[in-house]
Amino acid sequence: MRRWAFWIVATLAVAAVVHYFTLLRTPEFIMNKVMMRMGEVNHIHHQGRVTDKSRGVVRPSPDLLYSVCPFDLAQGALHVTGKVPAGTYWSVSIFDSDTNNFYVKNDRQVKGSVDLLVTTPANDVRRPKGAVEVISPTVKGLVLFRTLIDDEKNFAAIDAVRRTANCELIRSRAS
Amino acid sequence: MLRFLLKLLLCLIVGTALGLAATWLAVTRLNFGTVSNGPWRMSLLTGSAQSGPYLRANIARHGLLALNRSETIYYTADHDSNGEWLDGNCFYKIEGREPRARWWSITAYGDDDYLMKNKYDLWSISGETVQLRSDSTFIITASKHRAPTNWIPVTQRRFSLTLRLYNPAPGVVDDPANALVPVIKRSVCL
Repeated sequence: MRRWAFWIVATLAVAAVVHYFTLLRTPEFIMNKVMMRMGEVNHIHHQGRVTDKSRGVVRPSPDLLYSVCPFDLAQGALHVTGKVPAGTYWSVSIFDSDTNNFYVKNDRQVKGSVDLLVTTPANDVRRPKGAVEVISPTVKGLVLFRTLIDDEKNFAAIDAVRRTANCELIRSRAS
Repeated sequence: MLRFLLKLLLCLIVGTALGLAATWLAVTRLNFGTVSNGPWRMSLLTGSAQSGPYLRANIARHGLLALNRSETIYYTADHDSNGEWLDGNCFYKIEGREPRARWWSITAYGDDDYLMKNKYDLWSISGETVQLRSDSTFIITASKHRAPTNWIPVTQRRFSLTLRLYNPAPGVVDDPANALVPVIKRSVCL
């Protein structure tokens, strides 16, 4: 009887350990899958209009235009630039590899254009003049631009502005 | 010795299976850190870095790349105002006043958390597209069969709705559980 109790307790202990570690790794696992689907890292990807065929991220909004830049800061910092459209909702948000949203600004907070340098303390990169430095908690992550199509009549103009968003790697002097 | 090794192997296999099942249940079925407002529920911690492992895993599965609530509030409903599961064979009237936010929308999603295929390419009604009544209230219909105005097509039996509030008013950010949100009334089922 005591032997059975030992094996039951041991099985539950294994279950608890497996549960805890798989739960901890779930966000990173899902984020990695999403980043792989987005395409080449440290490049901007302007996604088409969201439809029922869009399968990149769950529960996408059909009223928004998304541009994404998956990043890997192992070799350097990411220079993020782009024009901010006037008169409609726009935001740039940055997520770490555990899906935490560690930076967000919208069109009410940023006027004209956005200029960011996303980096880690390990990188030694000369900050471009005017760029705001943003420290990423993890080496990998994702920059996401959202632009609202407030009126279908404005679609072409809004799409043209959001396509000015760009990201490029500035290699670290140490690497 | 062989018996011991077999028991150990069984212990590892069963323990691993139980652990994975518990993670799957926690990620797909449980809701952590959420508050309710009528039929809608929302996470108070979405987008924040302080979230615990259960909420973080839940958000990664259901609300990946979501913004924090001062930027956007996401309310989700898979039940109507009477607590019944939303059913694609029924007509639903989503009634209320415009939420207090810079911009809002209501979008329908299928059971897989993606937009449902429909021949009208219509998935949401927003503050820009909604037709208000003379008293500034609205009625949005979510149903399989077409409604004359404010219609969101539903083409799957099991579906859910998301109410997005971009740049919500400070009062909504502070107390999303008591903010003004529409009711979801089931009318007829076919």
